[in-house]
Amino acid sequence: MLRIGVSRLLQHGSRHTAASAAAASAARAQSSAPEKIEVFIDDIPVMVPPGTTVLQAAAEAGVEIPRFCYHERLSVAGNCRMCLVEVEKSVKPVAACAMPVMKGWRIKTNSEMTRKAREGVMEFLLINHPLDCPICDQGGECDLQDQSMTFGSDRTRFLDTKRAVQDKNIGPLVKTIMTRCIHCTRCVRFATEIAGVEDLGTTGRGNDMQIGTYVEKMLMSELSGNVIDLCPVGALTSKPYAFTARPWEIRRTDSIDVMDAVGSNIVVNHRTGEVLRILPQVNEEINEEWLSDKSRFAYDGLKRQRLLYPMVKDSSGELRSCEWEDALIVAAKALKSADGSVAAIAGGLVDAESLVALKDLVNKLGGESTCTEEIFPDAGTGTDLRSSYLLNTKIVGVEEADLIVFIGTNPRYEAPLFNARVRKAWMYNELNAAIIGPKVDLTYDCEHLGDDPSIIGKLLNGSHPFSQRLNTAKRPMIVVGTSLLARPDGGVLYSQLLQLSQKLRSGCEGGAEWRVLNVLQRVASQVAALDLGYTPGVTDICNHPPKVLYLLGADEGAITRDQLPKDMLVIYQGHHGDRGAEMADVILPGAAYTEKTATYVNTEGRAQLTRAALVPPGMAREDWKIIRALSEIVGTKLPYDCLDDVRMRLTEISPNLTRYGEVEEANYFTQASALAQLVSGKQDTTPIDVPQKKLEDFYMTNSITRASPTMAKCIAAVRKEAANRYIE
Amino acid sequence: MLSSLAKTLASVRGVRHIHRSAAASSDALFSHVDTPENNVDTPFEFTPENLKRAKAIMSIYPDGHKKAAVIPLLDLAQRQVGNWLPISAMHAVASLLQMPRMRVYEVATFYTMFVRDPVGKYHVQVCTNTPCWLRGSDDIMAAVQEKLGIKTGETTKDGLFTLSEMECLGACVNAPMIQINDDYYEDLQVSDTQEILDTLAAGKKPKAGPRNGRFAAEPLGGLTSLTGPPPGPGFKVRDDL
Amino acid sequence: MASYFGLDKLVKAVRIIRNHGGIRGALYQLYRVDDLKDGTLVGEDALGNKYYENKQLLLGRDRWVIYHPRYGMDYDGSLVPAEWFGWLHHKTDKPPTEVAPTSYGWLSGHTENKTGTEEAYVPYSTTKPKIEAWVPPKRI
Repeated sequence: MLRIGVSRLLQHGSRHTAASAAAASAARAQSSAPEKIEVFIDDIPVMVPPGTTVLQAAAEAGVEIPRFCYHERLSVAGNCRMCLVEVEKSVKPVAACAMPVMKGWRIKTNSEMTRKAREGVMEFLLINHPLDCPICDQGGECDLQDQSMTFGSDRTRFLDTKRAVQDKNIGPLVKTIMTRCIHCTRCVRFATEIAGVEDLGTTGRGNDMQIGTYVEKMLMSELSGNVIDLCPVGALTSKPYAFTARPWEIRRTDSIDVMDAVGSNIVVNHRTGEVLRILPQVNEEINEEWLSDKSRFAYDGLKRQRLLYPMVKDSSGELRSCEWEDALIVAAKALKSADGSVAAIAGGLVDAESLVALKDLVNKLGGESTCTEEIFPDAGTGTDLRSSYLLNTKIVGVEEADLIVFIGTNPRYEAPLFNARVRKAWMYNELNAAIIGPKVDLTYDCEHLGDDPSIIGKLLNGSHPFSQRLNTAKRPMIVVGTSLLARPDGGVLYSQLLQLSQKLRSGCEGGAEWRVLNVLQRVASQVAALDLGYTPGVTDICNHPPKVLYLLGADEGAITRDQLPKDMLVIYQGHHGDRGAEMADVILPGAAYTEKTATYVNTEGRAQLTRAALVPPGMAREDWKIIRALSEIVGTKLPYDCLDDVRMRLTEISPNLTRYGEVEEANYFTQASALAQLVSGKQDTTPIDVPQKKLEDFYMTNSITRASPTMAKCIAAVRKEAANRYIE
Repeated sequence: MLSSLAKTLASVRGVRHIHRSAAASSDALFSHVDTPENNVDTPFEFTPENLKRAKAIMSIYPDGHKKAAVIPLLDLAQRQVGNWLPISAMHAVASLLQMPRMRVYEVATFYTMFVRDPVGKYHVQVCTNTPCWLRGSDDIMAAVQEKLGIKTGETTKDGLFTLSEMECLGACVNAPMIQINDDYYEDLQVSDTQEILDTLAAGKKPKAGPRNGRFAAEPLGGLTSLTGPPPGPGFKVRDDL
Repeated sequence: MASYFGLDKLVKAVRIIRNHGGIRGALYQLYRVDDLKDGTLVGEDALGNKYYENKQLLLGRDRWVIYHPRYGMDYDGSLVPAEWFGWLHHKTDKPPTEVAPTSYGWLSGHTENKTGTEEAYVPYSTTKPKIEAWVPPKRI
């Protein structure tokens, strides 16, 4: 992240990074174009490829042209007219966002004509814009406010009454104050092009034009929160954040999202020990500049159901809060007396540092099983080879692919931003998609091949009608969901898929470098846990119950108290009181992802750092420190005293865990598929299913989201919307 | 009186006189509100005959661009219902063209000739733009209102007539004029208007077109130009050519 | 004669010492309140504190309280109930033993000042906590 930032800074100066990146990417895309043409922006000569717009050329020269409707990642609308600039020998000013440059054009972005044009446009925009900046949530980060200060006139000539527009109710996340709308149509274009939900549009015309849904309905999208960022004025603002803070009061901390395994880059906005909101951070390789609603709005879950104090079960079987010392001593005594019969289960929100500390502790005590809640088949090479559990082609790789097959996954809700990338490739790169599993709406055309697991076998031996297309694909991608792998016959299916992808690789254009098989993880901790040598699945613990079970944020109910012997001591360490804490005898309060500087590895195998925005609440502490403290009391002191030492240990085990921001590639398919051929087993006939089929399944998937009132509201709203006859 | 007072006050205060015109807004709503007559359950289905027409219209457009037929299809639906377009008809068009409903709503709200609220059997549309106004459209309007006992935008109790005030309908040469459904009634006198409405109320169809006896937009007293046969080749050309 | 030689003071001292329960008691009283005084017992309140008066002493020193021994060195002015407070501070010359205080239904009994003790009054917070703690479910 930092690396990209610096290089951009060096290239173009600090202000114009986004636009210039778009221009640069356009330039890359057209690298085959024979020659560049020269244009002059305020007499600065720039060489740009043909087809570049005036605005992009200006960005290349480091000149920012004001705009409202233009956005790099959306189609060009050209309806706000704010980007008017003078082109020499042109009678009228031209709209820079829509006008491709011609050879030798001299563009004046600061001339009298340009200045007057901007002032005029601004005056028109402000005719109907209410002067309610003091009560507007966009105040302080409003494009209209900023640009009217910079380019607008200092007085008005209009004395008429302003028009008023009815506010729309488009769900519990986006607040609309439609009178403020300046009709840039960014939200409409976002909903249509990126979210794939064509529910927003412009109705009426002229003075009566308004943005809305025409009929009363909710914006049913998992990416709806992005329209808040896109809106250049205060027409679309965040409902949970309404009237909370002003941007200049907020402290910002760059971090990583852990709600899914994509690892979106975020900026945590906080003040006085509270997360106020979460915004996306641009990362071209992961989330571009979008963020899913769960990642954006689940932050209020960080304030509820928290574990603030250590707790120990008293003689009556009730959990009582106590001091750290008491809880640690109880836990340590149990661990010591367990005599090596110790096991650990790690949940989905755990960072690599605490994972390694816990594994070291359990192993030092003589325990063998350290498991993750997510299941991965053990057959063949299992998780021994890194390439078998990663999204090998990477998220950007989707843009090179020409055929993608989803098997047992619903990427729209398991990884919304990955799905957005697939949609982008489907729209612009003619990517075709197919799905094996339940029929779900992925926002793009997706051929449904059925939900019978035997299809995989048929694809392998080429007897399925789809095989033909798969074999002729130049760069095919197979994306496997973890819910497929969690099936009892997951190992068999997975080995078939390994062989299938190996077969496809040998035939496809991408060659050995193109890795067909991709596993789409659902939880943020999984890749790091597998890298560190955790065993996926808890069957081992069920079969050989240890005396002490250490749950590290394990809240998904992979194992229940009823499955465990009564005399077992369960230690739960985590940040939320959820299923894990309910079954625990000792509770050690840990930190959530906004409260610790920790390593997470996303589904591509990219290690990234969250940064502590807040201190953990109450008596909660950073997770690895708790384990380190416990190890000292048990008497098997872990050999690290500071975060750097833990990172050293991480590097020792797997160097990629500390190479932040980079994807460590893995390519062992030849070996894996060779071993996969040995796998045999019974194949089930139960149809392939995914847990998240509808939008209401998307919102609550981990302990933070389950504690979040906003997510609960979303689910309620989506369920209520099911009765709305206007939903298609 | 109030306005003159305001003017006086303004001049006393020395406020600059800046031209102000009333913001021209439509009285129609641009978001849908369910009513008993117009909601998602309002029955609408293309008649087999109209469906055939719709298919014919769609066949004009190439594959992948069928949604270009949205305007003629909406018009077809409006004609089938009778002068107005219920939201269920928009849905029917959307599903026929396989396009998102929102895109149909956008088109239907953009064009003022798609009437999205129920109207009477006869939609009386009086033009009140400058040429018609100069030729007495105020009188015509008053006559219609008096005759039907309704104001602009209202429907008579028997559901026969709806009165609307229109912007220019493009028949300025025959001003003043009214449009009733698809027919233009032009060069109107107050008496003509009353007669037209009476005829319609009686269930008959009055003759459309100019009421003062001329043909289309020809001069009333016979042609003043182009009276002779058109001159042949060489007309007004130099002799030596 | 005895007064000439100051013997009456001696007699008085002996009497005071005796009234305070011997030398040991007198020393303890001296240690406890830095004073030894001789007076008539006027009354005793509900807590067992005893109230004395000696009209021969200066105004302001002529009425005093000896707290119940159970308070030890932990006595406090607020142990004096309202009705005795008035007599002790010369608001009235009639101790509550003579004129019983009017009793109302709404009067709550006398409580001493708990500041500095575990029972001290701490105002509760009227703001919502920023972070809500998890409450473990009750086992049935």
